[in-house]
Amino acid sequence: MLMTGSSLQFSELISGPVIHGRLYRDPDVFQRELDAVWYKVWIYVGHASEIPHPGDYVRRQIGLQPVIMIRDDDGHINVFFNRCRHRGNLVCQRERSNVEVLTCPYHGWTYARSGELLEPTFEEGYDSNLRRQDFALARLPRVDSYRGLVFASMSPVGITLDEHLGATREFIDLFMDLSPLGEIDLNTGTQKLRYRGNWKMLPENSLEGDYHGPFIHRVAFDLYARQTGLTMSSLYENEVPDVIRYLPGGHMIEDYRGASMTPPPGPPSDARRAYVEALEQRYGPERARQLASTIAPLIYIFPNFIYLMTHIRRVQPVSVGETYIYYQPAFLKGVPTEINEMRLRLHEFSFGPAGFISPDDIEIMERNQIGIQARGNDASFIGRGIHREKAMPDGGTSGFTMDENHLRGMWRHYAKLMDDPDHAPFAR
Amino acid sequence: MADPQIESFLYREALLMDEHQFDAWLALWDNPARYWVPCNEDDIDPARQVSIIYDDHARLVQRIERLKSGSVQAMDPKPRMRRVISNIEVEPIHNGKLTVRSNFMLCMARANAQQLWCGRSIHGLVREHDGFRISEKKVLLINSDQEMPLLQFLI
Repeated sequence: MLMTGSSLQFSELISGPVIHGRLYRDPDVFQRELDAVWYKVWIYVGHASEIPHPGDYVRRQIGLQPVIMIRDDDGHINVFFNRCRHRGNLVCQRERSNVEVLTCPYHGWTYARSGELLEPTFEEGYDSNLRRQDFALARLPRVDSYRGLVFASMSPVGITLDEHLGATREFIDLFMDLSPLGEIDLNTGTQKLRYRGNWKMLPENSLEGDYHGPFIHRVAFDLYARQTGLTMSSLYENEVPDVIRYLPGGHMIEDYRGASMTPPPGPPSDARRAYVEALEQRYGPERARQLASTIAPLIYIFPNFIYLMTHIRRVQPVSVGETYIYYQPAFLKGVPTEINEMRLRLHEFSFGPAGFISPDDIEIMERNQIGIQARGNDASFIGRGIHREKAMPDGGTSGFTMDENHLRGMWRHYAKLMDDPDHAPFAR
Repeated sequence: MADPQIESFLYREALLMDEHQFDAWLALWDNPARYWVPCNEDDIDPARQVSIIYDDHARLVQRIERLKSGSVQAMDPKPRMRRVISNIEVEPIHNGKLTVRSNFMLCMARANAQQLWCGRSIHGLVREHDGFRISEKKVLLINSDQEMPLLQFLI
């Protein structure tokens, strides 16, 4: 029941398992999200391996604002707004490159890799009060990283990155430790996709594949099982507890370590044996067995980072009804090349515009965006497992394989951010 | 002027793709085979860089099985497609293989939208007693580095 009055609380639109359709389709909600989410919390920008050398940069976008991530001469990673301090032109127009200095193409103003203004061009025409140090590229107020994953926040104040990541760090470790060197390489190209749907549908869909899998991915799962001997059906045929996790901070996890997976038939390949041996040497037999025998947990770090089996996926909002997705396969450092090639081929099998799995999700999300325009009963229901949702000591929740406790947690967190009293009242 | 036999082979392949005649299209392929749509750039190392499609014959068979299964969401309803093939160039035979380069423009209509797909195809063809077989096909999409809609049809 909506309360009367001039301003709306988002917690009214999110009532336990009931999510109002307006949250997916209202342009005013999208504008509020820019301020309350995208320009406030920690946003995943990229991975250090994408810019290995001084002068390497990649262009990214936070909300609707263009930024660059660039490595300077000291090896330090900077995140700058991609905007010339002179007249606001885009300084870097390539998606990725290596530069000695950053030169704005409009009037030739030049910046060091660490952001300082080097040359305002035809400087004699500026009065002597122009101080170069006042015209450095604007830096994102806060930048920090964890295991090479670089995050930035447009808010100068707020919780630290460590506090934001919280319990997800254990799961990031499990992902990175798939490499015997504990490092991934993200210089593997980027599949780029667009869909006509709200950005929040992507995390909702990406972290609940066990429930929708048997309906829209059945053929792909069958093909995968016949090719590899690994069957996915055990995941939804025998639901087990503690797979679906909500972690404080809006984060979601699918943790398969407790689920039984049938190992592939036949002896492992030479490359596979060498890989498992390298893991044992680095991490000891017990952790190596754990790392090698299960799917690494799927990770969603609120609001735009997803790790899923083969790749890191970035969520990029465009408007309330349009979203871009970037899929970057993650190579594992220190493994036989065959292992990484297999990961690449498995990725193409599954994901990207022509894969056998994610395109069905994309098509479904586009129809979901059309569906929620209907206001006969203007609410989505995410109530599966609410009676058995388990509170965890870390403040999160835990549920069975196909439960929706993680979605409920994400929406609770979202409502809290959107209702932050720092923002102007939201018109009803 | 291209060899009329090669020209009509490309036109027939285009028709089979446009009309979703999956088995007939698969029958045009040799085994082993490589069906490749690079991502981001035209010349990438497929062992190091992700592709949009990088099928060997076994995966090509899987691709067709899935498209025929009736469960592909983006095939319900099926897209309507027509493509134009042009600028055909044939290289002299090398190691028994013909390399044919051509441009295509594909109009696709589905789900209240019309899409235009455009690119260059490089076919590696081998001659059989009853015509040609495709041993390699590389498709260079002009938008391979842009945010694209789903590619759930034959290109």
